[in-house]
Parts: sequence; structure tokens; C-alpha cells
Amino acid sequence: MDLSTHHQTPVLELKDLAKTFRAPGGQHVRAVDGVTLNVQPGEVVALLGPNGAGKTTTLDMVLGLTSPTSGSVSVLGRSPREAVTTGRISAVLQSGGLLRDLTVRETVQMIASLFDDPRPVDEVMTRAGIMALATRKVSKCSGGEQQRLRFALALLPDPDLLVLDEPTAGMDVAARREFWATMQADADAGRTVIFATHYLEEADTFADRIVLMARGHVVADGTTAEIRARASGRTVSADLPEHEADAIVDRLRHRSDVTDVSMRGNRVVIASSDSDAVARALLVDLGGKNVEVVTASLESAFLAITEEHDDEHEPDQQEVLA
Amino acid sequence: MNTTFAGLELRRVFRDYVSMFFIAVLPAFFYLIFGAAQEFSSERAGNGNVAMYIMISMAAYGAVTATTGIGGLAAVERMQGWGRQLGLTPLADSSYVAMKAGIALVIAMIPVTLIYLLGFFTSAEGTATAWAVSAVMVMFGAIVFAVYGLVVGLAFRSEAAVGAASGLLVIMGFLGNIFIPLSGTLLTIASFTPLYGFVALARYPLTEGYQIDGSHEPLWIAVTNVTAWAAIFGLMAIALVRRGRERQ
Repeated sequence: MDLSTHHQTPVLELKDLAKTFRAPGGQHVRAVDGVTLNVQPGEVVALLGPNGAGKTTTLDMVLGLTSPTSGSVSVLGRSPREAVTTGRISAVLQSGGLLRDLTVRETVQMIASLFDDPRPVDEVMTRAGIMALATRKVSKCSGGEQQRLRFALALLPDPDLLVLDEPTAGMDVAARREFWATMQADADAGRTVIFATHYLEEADTFADRIVLMARGHVVADGTTAEIRARASGRTVSADLPEHEADAIVDRLRHRSDVTDVSMRGNRVVIASSDSDAVARALLVDLGGKNVEVVTASLESAFLAITEEHDDEHEPDQQEVLA
Repeated sequence: MNTTFAGLELRRVFRDYVSMFFIAVLPAFFYLIFGAAQEFSSERAGNGNVAMYIMISMAAYGAVTATTGIGGLAAVERMQGWGRQLGLTPLADSSYVAMKAGIALVIAMIPVTLIYLLGFFTSAEGTATAWAVSAVMVMFGAIVFAVYGLVVGLAFRSEAAVGAASGLLVIMGFLGNIFIPLSGTLLTIASFTPLYGFVALARYPLTEGYQIDGSHEPLWIAVTNVTAWAAIFGLMAIALVRRGRERQ
């Protein structure tokens, strides 16, 4: 699916974006290495990847908090800093970044005072669900409550593009669900959202589109269904007759359409590119019982794609330029 | 001027009773004990009396305690992620620095006003010029110590370090001829320490360079001391800000 053919002005346009850090010891590390990405109005995009994939660094460049080593960022046709000063882009950052001695309301008032034409303080607090906490000190708020406060701050300029950097890191399940419910309401109203996460579940349930990052590269980009399909084939499992199990496993291993065979007790689990053929063989020739065919989970797709990418990039030292 | 932002920043400082004690109450108490309550306080000293001499010294000490704390905490705050939050707003770095400097001056005014009022109602005496010019010098010189606080905050990145930096001002105060009049070798050593030039300059409208022991010191010594330390703190701050940027 190529979204750039829609002929709309992209909300976000990254061209060959790269960022190199000097690590302790004087080595240069490419945290982001040639990311090209367009985000269209109204999209909800998940930036998914393991820790160290370059998600936060990418978003920092989108927000103008860090400047790229090479490549370009354009937010609604402007530079990131310009987009920030005109209130077109806003963000909920990872933990940290609040003054502990202010109350919740004071924090919102303080940040609101820096914008030319902010949404009313009460309005953003209501939408973020923190009206009841107004007079509480930030230091007395839980992680989830502080995250809601950051969300309220992000709503102040009424941005076209909302960036969330691992917004639910450190929250318990209930707080996480509640946070996404609030966020969903906002996205449904048509705001473009891009969020970084390493929770597959969040990407799956909340995003229209998943951009998978590993080692500073975009390794996959598409809808949730498309990313799933990237994991090669399906998994077939069946119970085997006890005394013949070893022989059957051996025969399965020699099939060209089988990529992996493993035993779990009496049950054989087969990864295959042609699940129908394997299932037929199991039922008809091999005496398999209770045959099951399962589509790969998003998680296995994720692992398959990121591991595949790791293999391409051996040895590791390539990532570290002296 | 963003009055909402500045007002909230001021409220934060006022709410911190421990800091306010060290900034305003303690130096005022020192003035009353070591100045107003002493028999020698009414003795003549330059364009006024000894009470005035001690009043200026204690106001200077309170003012630098205020600016050191504000400069230091501003640095720590920024590095603990508040800087990133502010980076998502139209606020420019220069406006932020100007705002914090303004806050530091307003807070520094508290001990100065309080102690000068106490002086006025107790035994401090001096010419009108000595009163006015010494107050201005205290405020002006205190800015240098906002940079000192900033340097400590940038270097050590913790609130505890900023507290230690304020505590260190007590030692600098003794070495800087603020609390006890020094003489001889100790006075010579003192003239190289950070608070010496600042307080000598603040007292100059009163003393015109005469020490308590009667010796005279030319103005250039105080001016050189202040200039040198302002340059040292300034250069350190610039180096530390650069180091911080490279790490990002």
C-alpha cells in the first residue's frame, strides 16, 4: 500500500533521515540510519521496535529537540521548530520533564502561558481526565496521572500532529487501557497521531498503520494485516502416534515446504510455507490427530522481521563506525 | 514579559520555606545579632556606621544565596527533562534565561529589602548615596552568583549539589571578609576568593576602600576580583552547556 499516491500534503515527511551520536569511548553510533517516511492527515501510526531501534531519536528530530546529522524533516511543510512555535505539532514525552513542586493546574497554566492562542486550561484538563487532580502536587501523582498531565499539555496548542513517545511505559494494565481510551477519543476526532511503543498489543489495537524499526532502519511499513502476512506462512500442529513420532518428525524435516519442526510432548509444531499440504500429509499419510492451522501472531511477525534484519546486518561492528 | 509564567516561578520559590529561611530569615537574624545588637555598631565607619557595614555584608550574603539557588536549580530542572517539555513550546532559550535572571533578581531583592529595612529601623546610619548605591551593587553583583549556581547545576546535575553550592557560600563568606573582618595574610588570601570583590564593591559607597583596621585598599582590587570571577564562571558555564549539547 503506497499512501503517498493520495496527493495530499503529508503531515510528516522524513527524507533519508540519519543521526549519529558519539558514544563514550569516541565511537560513532548511527542511532537512526536513513529513515524515509510519509504520514498523511488523519493517520494513526505506530512506530514499533525493540529498545535501541532509534524510535525516540527519530521522534526527537521530528519535534526539533535534536537536529539530524543528515536528511530532512518537514512537518506540514515547515521546519520542526517552526511547527512547534506555531502549535501545529505537540508531544507527550517519555517520563521525566515535569516540575514536581507545581500542582497539576499550575503546570497546565504555566505551559499555556507560553502559547499565543492556547485552548482553555479547563478544557484540556477535562479532555485528559485530570480535573479531579487540579490541586494535587505533581510529585504526588502516579505515573499514569503524570502521563495524563503531559497529554493535557500536549493538547494546549490544539496540534494537527500529536507525537507520543512510549506514552504508557511504566503504567499498569488498567492505567494503560484508560490512557488509550482517552487517546482513542482524540484520534477519532481526526487528529493525526504517531506513537512509539514496544508493546505489540498497543500497536495492534490502536494504530491503522505500523512502521517497524530495528537498528535505526524502517524494516516494515504497512497495515497490521500486512505486517502479519510478512511473517512467512502459518503454523501447523498435530498429535502424533507415540511410537512413530521420531520417524515422522524426520520425514517432515526433509520436506521442502517445512521451515521448522519442534516437539512439545506428543505434539509436533511445524512452521511451513504451504500449510495446506503439510496438514493434508499429516492427516492422510502420517496419522496425525487434532490438526490445527494457525496464522502467525503479530509477535512472531515482529520477531521474524527484526531477526531477518539482524541477519542482514552481521557483523554488528558495521553499526559502529570507528 | 510573561506574567503568568513569572508569577508561577515566584510562587514556587516562596513556597520553598527552607530556601526562604536561608535566603532571607538567616541573614536578617545575623544582622540583628552581629550588627544591631553589638555595642560597636554605632561606631563611625566611613560614610556611616558599623551597623551599616554589617547590614550591607549580610544583605550581600542573602542575595548570593538566593541567586546561587535559583541559577543552580534552573540548570538541574532543565536537565531533568523540563527543558524538553519547554522545547515543545514557542519559548526561546534566550527568553527563558532572561526570565530566570529576572526571577533571581526579584528573589535577591527580598533579603536586601528586609535587611535594609531592619537596618533603617535599628542603628544603621549612612549617607543617602551609601544606602542607595550599596543596594544596587549588591543586586548587580549577585547576578554573578546566579552563574556560579548554574555552573554547579550543569556540572553535577543534582539538587543536592546545588544545596552544597549554597552551603559553600558560608565558607566563601568567611574567606570573602563578609562575616568577620580579616587582616594581614588572611586578608591578602581573601582578596582572591569569589565573594571578596563582590562585598568590597557593595561596601565601597560606605567605606570608600577603608578596611575596619584602618588600612586602605584601592578600588581596582575589588573590581578585578569581580571581573575575574565573572569571567571564570561565565566560561565554565559556556563549556558545560556545550558539553551538554554534544551528549544529546
